[in-house]
Amino acid sequence: MRVVSIPLPTGINLSQVTHTWELLVLLTAREVKLRYQGTILGFLWTVAKPLLLALVLSFALSRVLRVDVGDAPYHLFLLSALFPWGWFQSSIQFSAASFTNNAPLLKKVYFPRSVLPLSTVTNQLFHFLLSIPVLMLLLMAWGYYPGLQWLVGIPLLIAIQLLMLAGTVLLVASINVFLRDLEHLVEVGLTLWFYVTPILYPLHLVQDRIGPLIHLNPMASLIQAWRDLFLENKLPSFDIWPALVFAGVTLVAGTLVFNALEERFEDAL
Amino acid sequence: MPYNDQEVIALDNISKRYFLQHERARELKTALLHLLTYLKASRAKEPFWALKDISLSVRQGESVGIIGANGAGKSTLLRIVARLAPPTQGKVMVRGRVSPLLELGAGFHPQLSGRDNAILNAVLLGLSRKEAQEKLPEITEFSELGEFIDQPMRTYSSGMYVRLGFAVAVHVKPEILLVDEVLAVGDAEFQGKCFAHIDKLRQEQVTIVLVTHDLESVKRFCDRAVLLSHGVIAAQGDPQDVVDEYLEQVFGHAGAAPAGDG
Repeated sequence: MRVVSIPLPTGINLSQVTHTWELLVLLTAREVKLRYQGTILGFLWTVAKPLLLALVLSFALSRVLRVDVGDAPYHLFLLSALFPWGWFQSSIQFSAASFTNNAPLLKKVYFPRSVLPLSTVTNQLFHFLLSIPVLMLLLMAWGYYPGLQWLVGIPLLIAIQLLMLAGTVLLVASINVFLRDLEHLVEVGLTLWFYVTPILYPLHLVQDRIGPLIHLNPMASLIQAWRDLFLENKLPSFDIWPALVFAGVTLVAGTLVFNALEERFEDAL
Repeated sequence: MPYNDQEVIALDNISKRYFLQHERARELKTALLHLLTYLKASRAKEPFWALKDISLSVRQGESVGIIGANGAGKSTLLRIVARLAPPTQGKVMVRGRVSPLLELGAGFHPQLSGRDNAILNAVLLGLSRKEAQEKLPEITEFSELGEFIDQPMRTYSSGMYVRLGFAVAVHVKPEILLVDEVLAVGDAEFQGKCFAHIDKLRQEQVTIVLVTHDLESVKRFCDRAVLLSHGVIAAQGDPQDVVDEYLEQVFGHAGAAPAGDG
């Protein structure tokens, strides 16, 4: 029989929550600092990279892919979905190995370990936040002026996407400790997910063909909500329910799996 | 050393089992191919009990030295107290902030400055960010890094690395300090400084559990010694007696223990 009881020194209280929060901030800051260290442009890269990416993609895709996307120029149509997707994809991809990569740390110090994958999400969020002004400038250059709806819409959609990511990265990173193939599977899976999500093409293109089945992809509703907000200043509606369901399911699954596997990390790391 | 009766570490019949081979498949392919045998596999592998039915109680302010041959389970015991390894059986109670000196500088990032690393490490060990900032001058002074504190740690010598690691670990206001052999590093002068600081912490009622092969430091620093042998407690009590018993065990009945132990 297995009897383990390790009472926390103080239980769940405010100071513990604050401590976890501070750890998250410090780890995020560390990642941000490390990312462009040694480069000449340094911090400028955080803005320059999405901008250059935008140029390349819109040049390539607007010529190659002749999709009818409605009124908006193709590059604006693309970027309004690509930037939020980039946050989603890189968060999951980079956090998959966050326990295995930090094995030396996990084996020597005890701390709230869930901060490791979560700090990847916040680090990527930081880069996404910096890409919003870039997108805003581009939109304005083509006569799309942001409305006050952004002030409500952006925090709301960020919160929803954050919830979707939190559970997912806990789930993926925890399982990856025991099945390291997962990080590679995830990489491939995310590429597939990218193509089945209306990022390069408009939502109605798939909706016309598969109808309500589109709701099986929670990212379709989220990406559409981002696009509506950026291009049309439209606040998210309840159409976003698949994303909320996904957030709820992954939060429960991620927490349960993390709690179940955490104490066995040391055997596998 | 005086100490009060508050129990800060209580190990109740703990055992720790490891498996000598990989007890589970690390690859999906292997896991899928052997799905049926997969769950039974862990039972088929040979178990190795690193610790067997260990019960140990440490009171606040006490210094306990753990000695024993390699593979006796000393480090496993320390890892269990540090919450880094869950016991397979038994109960663990640990009260207070634990600072493990298991491998100095674990988690330091070579690309970041000593300052950034020290603050992150201190927060990992349980300080708030503000407390970590406040402790930084003391940490810098103790580690003798001077202006190197703002240099990336990849430029540090291994001695500087270890000094910063030690300085952080002892300045996070630990209530329980777990020391595993780390004092064997650094030059003689810094070692002396470390021991002096640990002595100071003892006087401040910090509980210390020391794992070492250096029997002299056990006699000098500990109120009590515990001798582990093949995962069980073979003896405990007065450091001098326990050390004598250990030497007897090692060198058998061949007579008096030789002066030096290799």
